[in-house]
Amino acid sequence: MRKSRFGIVAITMVALLLGVLAVTQYRAQDVFSRSLTAENASSLTTLIAQISDRNSSLRDEILALQLRLDAAQGASQSSEITLRELRDQYQQLQVAAAVTPVSGPGVEVRIEGPFDDRAMSDLVNEIRNAGAEAIGINGSRVAPRAWFSSSGTGVVVDGTLMTSPYRVQAIGSPDTISVALTRTGGIVSQFGLIYGRTRFTVAQQKLIDLPAAANVEFRVAKPAH
Amino acid sequence: MNASTIARPFRQLTWRHSLALFLPALLFGYLVANQAITQSERSALAVRYNAPLVDAANALQKEQNDLKTQLADLRTKLDAIQQAGATQSGIAGDLSRQIQDLQTRSGLSAVSGEGVMVTLDDARLPANANNLEKSICHNTDITDIVNTGWRAGAEAIAVNGERMVGTSSAYCVGSTIMVNGTLMSPPFSIAMIGVQGQLMSLFDDPRELADIKSRSQANGLIFQVSRQRDVRVPGYTGSLGARYAVPR
Repeated sequence: MRKSRFGIVAITMVALLLGVLAVTQYRAQDVFSRSLTAENASSLTTLIAQISDRNSSLRDEILALQLRLDAAQGASQSSEITLRELRDQYQQLQVAAAVTPVSGPGVEVRIEGPFDDRAMSDLVNEIRNAGAEAIGINGSRVAPRAWFSSSGTGVVVDGTLMTSPYRVQAIGSPDTISVALTRTGGIVSQFGLIYGRTRFTVAQQKLIDLPAAANVEFRVAKPAH
Repeated sequence: MNASTIARPFRQLTWRHSLALFLPALLFGYLVANQAITQSERSALAVRYNAPLVDAANALQKEQNDLKTQLADLRTKLDAIQQAGATQSGIAGDLSRQIQDLQTRSGLSAVSGEGVMVTLDDARLPANANNLEKSICHNTDITDIVNTGWRAGAEAIAVNGERMVGTSSAYCVGSTIMVNGTLMSPPFSIAMIGVQGQLMSLFDDPRELADIKSRSQANGLIFQVSRQRDVRVPGYTGSLGARYAVPR
């Protein structure tokens, strides 16, 4: 009788403790969260730098457009200034829409050896994020709607087969783009580990010439207001 | 003889007792260990001095939203001037009409039409789940989906309202995703305008987006593609600033 009572007490205590632990455990295991507070200091610093860069280029453009607007409004009679304003905007849009050949300084990435479409897509994404204004692969312009797919012998870009050596050229700030690509733990060092037999060279260029991209069509998309 | 009859049930009782205690003890040990691991991870993540950095990031993002609004406002005002010019004859009129066409081509104007809506979201999982990496969305999933869209002939794509243009990127720092330099968190709604049949047939192709599809099957990643009669894709609101590239 005494023995069985001891057993009951022992089991009750274990069960009690178990219950407490189970609850604490359940509370501690909240759902995976994406909040910024979960990032470490180094990631947060990188994020802040990225957003600051975007904000300063937004500020630059606001200033430029404000000047244009002032000029256009102040000189509504003078067609000369309006015409200059129109030409400026026309040029800027020509670059953005990739409808004209362009020239400028930038960075060339040379890739010799096995490489694939997803890596090429990631590289283009990285270069665009570093602020590139125009990109070319093996002498062809990468269109705003460019797509990448695989092929046994190389990488297909917008339906055109490209093979090694790949020459990826980007017009933009040579320093910003080359630092973004070659920083420690950056995309080029990751590629170096994944594609051990492939040689990657990143070089700044004083002048890069790129052709226009093929014209884009709008058949389904209509202007919305 | 008497001693042995007492001893036998007693021995059986201890054996049963220890078995009854063994299983809870095992569970207890597991829970203590698990608890300790979870707590150490959490304290490493929630570093105290991160708070000012998080505040700074949020403040900058808010500033960016304001700047984008200002920029959009200026563009609208300049558009009005150009549209007035477009009715003119001569060089100014020609330029204004070409500018309007280029604004559409470069993704500055909002468009609508038939298409698909792609939904991508993290699996509903506890923070210490196995294969967490496979269960959550990454920036490369977004670039892969956008790539499939362009390949299937999409004419306009936006990720959570950010129009994908020639300078657009989907970037990732830690587990935070940025599209066009704007902080974003899941779920992602990727709106695509294009011939619906063409879009659907490529998204349905099992060879396309094989990695995302297998993670959606095995790891609970949420990935859905649905037809939409009328998809609206907003215009790009970021900066265009061509400072290095000059038309030849």
